[in-house]
Amino acid sequence: MTSPELLSLQAITRHYQVGSEGVRALDGVSFEVRRGEWVAVVGQSGSGKSTLMNILGCLDTPTSGTYAIRGQDVRGLADDALADLRNREIGFVFQTFQLLPRSTALANVELPLVYRGVPRRERRERAESALRSVGLEDRMHHRPNELSGGQRQRVAMARALVGEPSLLLADEPTGNLDSATGEEIFRLLEGLHARGHTIVLVTHEPRLAARCPRAIRLMDGRIVADGAGREVALLGVTPAALA
Amino acid sequence: MRGLRRAAAELEESVRIALSTLVGNRMRSALTTLGIVIGVTTVIAIVAVIQGLNSSFETQIQSFGAHTLYVSRWKWMNLSGDWWKYRNRKPIGEVELGAISRESSLALAVSPVIPLTAAAAAGEHSLSAVQLDGVGSEYLRANGGSVVAGRFLVEGDLEATSHAAVLGADVADHLFPGQAPEEVVGRRVTLSGHPFRVVGLMERRGRFLGMAMDNNVFLPYTTFGRLFGPKRPMYIAVAGPPGRLSELDDELTGILRRARQVAPGRADDFTLNRQEQFLKVYQGLTNALYGVAVGVGLITLVVGGIGIMNIMLVSVHERTREIGVRRALGARRSTILAQFLVESALVAALGGAIGTGLGLAIAEGVALTTPLAAAVKPSAVALGLGFSAATGLVFGTWPAWRAAHLDPVEALRYE
Repeated sequence: MTSPELLSLQAITRHYQVGSEGVRALDGVSFEVRRGEWVAVVGQSGSGKSTLMNILGCLDTPTSGTYAIRGQDVRGLADDALADLRNREIGFVFQTFQLLPRSTALANVELPLVYRGVPRRERRERAESALRSVGLEDRMHHRPNELSGGQRQRVAMARALVGEPSLLLADEPTGNLDSATGEEIFRLLEGLHARGHTIVLVTHEPRLAARCPRAIRLMDGRIVADGAGREVALLGVTPAALA
Repeated sequence: MRGLRRAAAELEESVRIALSTLVGNRMRSALTTLGIVIGVTTVIAIVAVIQGLNSSFETQIQSFGAHTLYVSRWKWMNLSGDWWKYRNRKPIGEVELGAISRESSLALAVSPVIPLTAAAAAGEHSLSAVQLDGVGSEYLRANGGSVVAGRFLVEGDLEATSHAAVLGADVADHLFPGQAPEEVVGRRVTLSGHPFRVVGLMERRGRFLGMAMDNNVFLPYTTFGRLFGPKRPMYIAVAGPPGRLSELDDELTGILRRARQVAPGRADDFTLNRQEQFLKVYQGLTNALYGVAVGVGLITLVVGGIGIMNIMLVSVHERTREIGVRRALGARRSTILAQFLVESALVAALGGAIGTGLGLAIAEGVALTTPLAAAVKPSAVALGLGFSAATGLVFGTWPAWRAAHLDPVEALRYE
């Protein structure tokens, strides 16, 4: 079965037990993301952004509700199946880059293909072409500590893209970068979107969300706005919305 | 196919990461493996020396007396403390010797042995204690050994009660230092004050169970009886055909019971000893040593294993975020488990390899600097390596399991 929606969330809740208190990090979240869309998820800290991102990335499973990727319901999948799903469908880009310190840029980018059982030669070729596509062909054999922040995030993006996942999941990708470098990374995302990649960008910066075609605003675990990026982002900064 | 390729790719990645971690933390890795190194070194060295001893011992046993029974009042290597039972037995003497010589059909060679410790001298050189053995002309065939120069005692020496002596290698070295064996033959020696002429020199036999085998002088037992008294305790060496020691045993038992007039139904009042008895006691000793070596080895391996477990727990802790990243990129729990198991097994096997090398070097050193031999069977090396790698696996399991069961979300967030 193929549905036009890449991602489909219906009445997702996620409860945590913190001490004796139950916390509702997500409380009935429903939305869909079509193939090729670029969606920003905005909200203040504690709004449930991170929890949503973990669920979208199949790192965590909802307490209730249905989450399907390409029509496949994630609920009830075994740990191994979730790992394989992440490997195939999700490309992660993290705020803190999360590169393996002892591995070269190339080895870092090859990693998702290692876990997919791609033969060495093909792995190498695909990793090299992914690094070329983010403009790092001359840094392939450098380790992360020999790279600048912007270069590290490019390596991370190459690693996220190398397996040709359905979804690029970027969590504050510019959060640890100066504004010029952050802008470069954002441009890279724009380019990927233009080439048809589906992107979910989690950010607390309305300025960035405003530049995305669509944005979802979370507050206290619920969706309070879902619409054009510019409008939803601006909604967040008006004094009226904060009141 | 894909699963297999994936496993191979993951193993390759695990080994690569394990090696880079090993190299990246050289000091830590060295200290971690130290316990395993010490354990394996100890075991390999001890086992090498024991195996060397065993093989040289067995060769010696076979070189003389393998097909020989020793008729004696005493039971050899008797460790049970009932020596008084044997003490009251009638001594073995000419009667028994005569009976065996006359009646045994299986005996190939028969010789009495009458030992006595006495002083020996030649010119200005002297020895305060050598073992004088009064023996018969068939002694060499009965007990093993050979002469390098001159001749052994012959029937004529016995009949004539001649003052002929055959010197052991050590005795010859001390009394005639620096002289060739041929020069020594024909020279005079004084044994316990009596003059003797050297007719032959024994080939060196080395040590047997720590006893010097070359500190003897062989005399005709007839001469021995005349000089030192006829009632000395003797034992009789009787060599039989190879593989028929039990038949010889039965035959001699019958002959001796008649000669010593043992009433039917009463126990033998003599013992037919075998060299094997030494071997048995000896093997009992070396088995005990083996036990100790294995015990020491196991204890050190456990201690080393705990060291590995500790360092692996630290390593898992330090690499929490790395584990989270790997899980996010599609590593299964089993992948993470395997990665850390490979690492701990590799550390342990490295220790095992170093330990094996050191152990072999020590065994070689022992063999070169002491009379002990050393030999290592390939199986011992394989066992050392196998055991250390297994230690790594066993003690790496708990840390690896912890790593595999980290929550990816928590692991990624870990500072």
